[in-house]
Amino acid sequence: MEKQSFKANPQKWLSLYGDFLYHYTLPRVNHSIIAEDLVQETFLSALKGLDGYKGEASEKNWLFTILKNKIIDYYRKKAMEQSVMSMPDLQVMDDEWFNEEGGWVENKIPKDWHAADSPVERKEIQKIINWCKDHLKELQQHVFTLKYMEDLDSIEICKVLNISSSNYWVLIHRARLQMRECVEKYWLKT
Amino acid sequence: MKKFMMKYLMVNCNEATFFMAKKEEGKLTFFQIAKLSMHTSLCSFCKKFEKQTSKIAQESKHVHAEDNLPAFAKERIKKILEEHSS
Repeated sequence: MEKQSFKANPQKWLSLYGDFLYHYTLPRVNHSIIAEDLVQETFLSALKGLDGYKGEASEKNWLFTILKNKIIDYYRKKAMEQSVMSMPDLQVMDDEWFNEEGGWVENKIPKDWHAADSPVERKEIQKIINWCKDHLKELQQHVFTLKYMEDLDSIEICKVLNISSSNYWVLIHRARLQMRECVEKYWLKT
Repeated sequence: MKKFMMKYLMVNCNEATFFMAKKEEGKLTFFQIAKLSMHTSLCSFCKKFEKQTSKIAQESKHVHAEDNLPAFAKERIKKILEEHSS
């Protein structure tokens, strides 16, 4: 018997988990080439770490955890490369939605939505969310993805993206306003 | 008096929606929570905003692509895995 024969079966990883990992990754990084690379790197890291895998988690969950770390690393690297990227002008940002008294601008007032509780409706609204997320401005998109798709908290996100806490809250506020408006626009058309 | 109330006891819609993001992480003070709930009990727009953004938050976790890993990428990854496992 081989030493590392727990339950890991690298020959089957690609056929068993390749699509599953890719389905998860693609909406979180937006580009198919990057998603392919992250899936590939996940398998390679798993191969390297095979000795450390003792079968506590299922093989699928183990690979999934490695993948989630790769996704966060991707955003960390991206933030480092773009360290000179200027922050958007945070002062004038909310003018689009609110008047001087801080009340809703007429055409931005939230409308009533029909329910999205059935599996089909939920799938539909998830597609709309993904489309709208793709159309957020870059930093807002990163913040939204890490917060709502990857479930990190604000402290972790500030570290990953190397932004201040006050910038984070402004960015997430703006992303939420933008997302809600966009999802509403397409959801009410369905 | 009304103006005084508005200024010190109430938050406006911009602030209320900002507080909601912080509320998700339990980052509001006692007074901020009180101000926010007072606002949303009176403002149907912000009440809708809160409900809809939490729906978005809830569904975002479940977003998955439908496209499979492209065949040429599978071929490439297969080769690389074979090289590394030998």
